Amino acid sequence: MYLTLLLATLVITIVLLVLVKNRLVIETLAVFSGAVMLVYSFLIALTVAEVGVYSFSFFLSVDALGAIIILIIGTMGFATAIYSVSYFNQETKKGIVGRTRVKQYFVLLYVFLTAMYLATTASSPIFAWISIEATTLSTAFLISFYNKPSAIEGAWKYLIINSVGLLLGFFGTMLYFTAVPSTLNGGFIGWDDLLQNANQLDPLMAKIAFIFVLIGYGTKVGLAPMHTWKPDAYSKAPAPLGALLAGALLPVAFFVILKFERVTDAVVGPEFSHQLFLVFGILSIIVAALIMFNAKNYKRLLAYSSIENAGIIALGFSFGGLGVLGAVLHMIYHSGVKAVMFFSAGNMLLTYGSDKIDKIKNALRVIPVTSVLFILGFLIVTGTPPFGIFFSKVYILSAGIASHPYVTFLAIFFMTLVFIGFLKHVTAMFLSDSEESDLVHGEKNIWLVIPPIFFVILIVGLSFTIPPFLQTLIDAVVVNY
Amino acid sequence: MTSLIFLQFLVDVMFLTLVLLHLTKKNFIAVIAFGVQSLMLAMLFFVSFLETGNRYILLMVFFTFAIKVVLAPLFFIRLIRKYQLYFSVNTYLSMPATLGIIAGLTFMAHSARFVPLTQIVPEHQMLLSLALSLIFIALFLIINRKEAISQILSVLALENSIVVFIIFAGLEQSPNLQIGILFNIFVWIVIATVFVSMIYKHFGSHDVTVMKNLTD
Repeated sequence: MYLTLLLATLVITIVLLVLVKNRLVIETLAVFSGAVMLVYSFLIALTVAEVGVYSFSFFLSVDALGAIIILIIGTMGFATAIYSVSYFNQETKKGIVGRTRVKQYFVLLYVFLTAMYLATTASSPIFAWISIEATTLSTAFLISFYNKPSAIEGAWKYLIINSVGLLLGFFGTMLYFTAVPSTLNGGFIGWDDLLQNANQLDPLMAKIAFIFVLIGYGTKVGLAPMHTWKPDAYSKAPAPLGALLAGALLPVAFFVILKFERVTDAVVGPEFSHQLFLVFGILSIIVAALIMFNAKNYKRLLAYSSIENAGIIALGFSFGGLGVLGAVLHMIYHSGVKAVMFFSAGNMLLTYGSDKIDKIKNALRVIPVTSVLFILGFLIVTGTPPFGIFFSKVYILSAGIASHPYVTFLAIFFMTLVFIGFLKHVTAMFLSDSEESDLVHGEKNIWLVIPPIFFVILIVGLSFTIPPFLQTLIDAVVVNY
Repeated sequence: MTSLIFLQFLVDVMFLTLVLLHLTKKNFIAVIAFGVQSLMLAMLFFVSFLETGNRYILLMVFFTFAIKVVLAPLFFIRLIRKYQLYFSVNTYLSMPATLGIIAGLTFMAHSARFVPLTQIVPEHQMLLSLALSLIFIALFLIINRKEAISQILSVLALENSIVVFIIFAGLEQSPNLQIGILFNIFVWIVIATVFVSMIYKHFGSHDVTVMKNLTD
């Protein structure tokens, strides 16, 4: 019921956003729907925590991991809607965007959110694929939102690389279906059908299929070496969208990979998928660490951080056991911290008018709240204690130290390199002496800092206390994956 | 038997259109080649309809024909005429090297290494091998082409190739889902076409190698 109401809310919102012309109504509608979306997300998560798997109709169902992702989408979506209103008001004042563009933004934002919800709740892998492809289509125009040559370039790379990746993912998906009679359920084969018929799947076929799926959806996650679209897309997209791409889309795509991993593991055992996660995970951490050091653009820096964290999550699932617990927690914390950092990055962009690191001088004095938020985000995302990511990394690395000591040490080394590289840039941006004289000091609007403050409080809270219903969901994921 | 020979003929034509997509220097010919390739795909669905009598497959024939054979080529031809993009930009590799790689990929798809994929339906092994080579060659086309329209056509050719493989492997899904996929592809075509226009307006070229704004 909640799922239907949630999807109905989203569809009605999209229709109304298309029809309405008044900007105030559009903004109110976006925020209000975001709040409703968040409430339903919570209700769905509570239901899943209570009953295990929540199914509505033949086409939609949510398991524990799906419920966690839904919570992430709901929270990120609501915060992004609030932040976007203030952000685009500032951009309108500066003459960067007009009313029509803002309307387009909110319509596409809600199409994107709907597609992510559908991908997470679809009971069919093909339906999930269609939804993930819809996320590409809805966000392509959002990445090219500012209609500049660099934005078009970023969006084009995003469109082509992700489309090819997803086609390979589609091919892999279809190979799993060799185990299931195509006449089953009138050809509407679900995740459960794949799992139940896993013993019919040829082991070699399962391996080939998983490789295609991992490459395909791994492109969407941004695992190296399929990550190349990420810095371009993240840096050119409006800052609030960057938060959603890093914080919500990444877990959604990972969720689909994990669904296939369960089927593959049922056929060939967990070693095969774990080995692949290990290779892609460590490669992502290494690639991100090496590039981050010389990054010149702070939004690209966040994209590399996202690649690194995708690698850490992959390592967690690769190590298994405590590593899975670490990976799920990492997924949650990473989403929150990326909201903090992208929202802060948006505020910096509004103040300085540039996303180049060397243009940001003495930010701590110019925009103190935003600066503190970005620095906190840096400390959280790099795993500084006592924040949650410190614990999730400890869980992952301690799970890996026994089974894969060399990889674990390599991961620790490159994570340290990420910290040093990040620190170098943070120092340059926030603590440098020189200051541009024509800058207006102070935050532009209170609503530009409330969403990131909310996420900092949320992360700090979740670092020390996990609500019982969320703990139930996390435990269920650890058992199943 | 006759049916198998006819199916083989359809896939052979698809293979040749893909090779033509690699070799042609004119965008118009590339669009026609894609249209012919899609027509072969629609005919494959039609053969499937004749064999099964499933009316939903006839719907697939209609949608495939409408979207890939008629609408997509029309979109592209309009685009070519509007921006006078008659000649395609060069490929990264020379023609002999391209042909060599196509031969290598075809050989690879027919090798014993890929038997698990080509033996999904043993009586379709030849067809599945050919479909697999289509997938490989389409992937190579995406990498080898420098031009925006060619890249779109390459992605669509890859999608066609995967669908051919799915048909011969007997992995067709619920018609609703297949129509959903086709709708997705239609939207993709529209969006990609808009992007080609935007690229041309901003860069004055459809050569994607001129886009060099994003570097660290």
